[in-house]
Amino acid sequence: MQQTETAQGYVKNIWDSVKTTLVGMKITWRYMLQKPITVQYPDERMPIPDRYRGIHYLEQEKCINCLACARACPIDCIEMEAVRHGKELEWISFTLDYQKCMFCELCVYPCPKDCIHMGTEYAFVTFDRSEFKHDLLSFKGMAREARIRMKEAEAKKAAKEAAKAAGVKVEDSKAEEGDGE
Amino acid sequence: MTPALALAQQSAAVEVGSGSNAFLEGLVAALGAYLPMWALWLGAAVTGVAIVMGLISLIAMFSVWLERKVAGHIQCRYGPMYVGWHGWLQSIADGVKLLLKEDMIPRDADRVLFMLAPALVLAAIVAAMAAYPLAPGVFFADIDLGVFFVIAMSSMTTIGVVMAGWASNSKWTVFGAMREAAQVVAYEIPLGVALLVPVMVAGTLNMREASEMQSGWYGMGWFMFKNPFMLPAFVLYFIAALAETKRAPFDLPEAESELVAGFMTEYSGIRWSFFFMEEYAAMFLMSALAAVFFLGGFESPLTWAAGEFFGRELFVKGASGATELNLQAIPYHAVAGLTLLVKSFAGIFLMMWLRWTLPRVRVDQVMTMGYKYLTPLALVCAIGAALWEAGKQALLG
Repeated sequence: MQQTETAQGYVKNIWDSVKTTLVGMKITWRYMLQKPITVQYPDERMPIPDRYRGIHYLEQEKCINCLACARACPIDCIEMEAVRHGKELEWISFTLDYQKCMFCELCVYPCPKDCIHMGTEYAFVTFDRSEFKHDLLSFKGMAREARIRMKEAEAKKAAKEAAKAAGVKVEDSKAEEGDGE
Repeated sequence: MTPALALAQQSAAVEVGSGSNAFLEGLVAALGAYLPMWALWLGAAVTGVAIVMGLISLIAMFSVWLERKVAGHIQCRYGPMYVGWHGWLQSIADGVKLLLKEDMIPRDADRVLFMLAPALVLAAIVAAMAAYPLAPGVFFADIDLGVFFVIAMSSMTTIGVVMAGWASNSKWTVFGAMREAAQVVAYEIPLGVALLVPVMVAGTLNMREASEMQSGWYGMGWFMFKNPFMLPAFVLYFIAALAETKRAPFDLPEAESELVAGFMTEYSGIRWSFFFMEEYAAMFLMSALAAVFFLGGFESPLTWAAGEFFGRELFVKGASGATELNLQAIPYHAVAGLTLLVKSFAGIFLMMWLRWTLPRVRVDQVMTMGYKYLTPLALVCAIGAALWEAGKQALLG
């Protein structure tokens, strides 16, 4: 509303305020009738882009505990621990501290087995700080298949040694020789 | 003027001023032998007040929900969605929360005034609400000076607001209260003068009678169409009513971006909700006044049809000469009451629509608008309407 002293300005002020109000009301009316653009968040979510960098997920069966990702991490938030039984791994922990993590994706590139990925989950709220240290393992200890493979390898080795002791030449592959170290 | 539920005889509209109170009469007939008259009178009054309070609470709860939905959809979001269908129970949840909240009084506040202010505000609006006619034959109090009473009572709330602002002992609240006082003083005049236009045409201040006068043209004989000064008067009245009820764009007393929450900064819990209820009840009353005096009140083609079909008399003289309740006319009264309710809520919706469209005006702009624009324009409308009516009478007899 401009401060005008003329009669013309007075009438113009009235005209302008009525007109602009009606224009504004028209705009808000249009918005009111259209479908809201928001989504009901916890029930429905916006689509997440393919290259979104959320919480990591680990393909534990592929991982060989090589520590490449931990070394690549610029803020050292990845820690892992596993015990090696021959070729097989017994997992103890694989933690990622999300208080430190900045989701830079640098841990993903050096992985020789392509087993650590950035996931799509982004909302994690906890009651305690310590819960931000996520354990990415889907199981602790050894995988069932790994245990079976280890058992089989041990049995094979025992059989070989028994045969060796008996003086029988066994035509077995040389690949088995490295076992048990 | 007893705020008791009065079911008056519509046929005896002339005698209504003397106060025929069907509810009280019914009480006397039922319990007159057992209880003294003052107890019955008190019982009727308490029932009436309870019904008015319930009505105000319901209106406030529904309006809060409507406000949040309208605000949400205007801003392209949903508003409350979880509590009940589209969040319709949200207000009840909020009410429970407000009741359970800690009731805090600042240490340096004036305790007596601080506690009195919300009660005064609510009491004023309850009193004003008593003049609201529920249906052509059902009302709390059939007041001959209805409009005058409503405006007087609803501007009483200003005293409560100023009291609250002063008693809180805070700069924000005092600023809010001062703005409220200045605003109400400025806008009372155009509000009253703009209402004078339909009152002049109607020749009555009684809300029910004014509504009855608009039943012509198959229920479309609204005052709005009676003369060319009605539309500008309605617009002026509506703007003044916005300022009177502290609604955006005139919500300076509680300007949340400048004054925290204005005069209610220090209030919490149930005391705060009293101010809130007052705001919505005042909006409802102002819209109801607009509906009665500009938009036909109870009258609409639907009401007219219901009246033709079911009959309009709620009370008829029985065979024995005593007045009896005419059950057949109840649908007509329900339709009429609903019509007024819908019209009032349409007014509330318009207020909400304006609130979420316009930004808040500055203090000097509020004053300029009130004194330099609304007041002279309302006077022009009133004088014009008076001349029009006088000319019509002179020409048409």
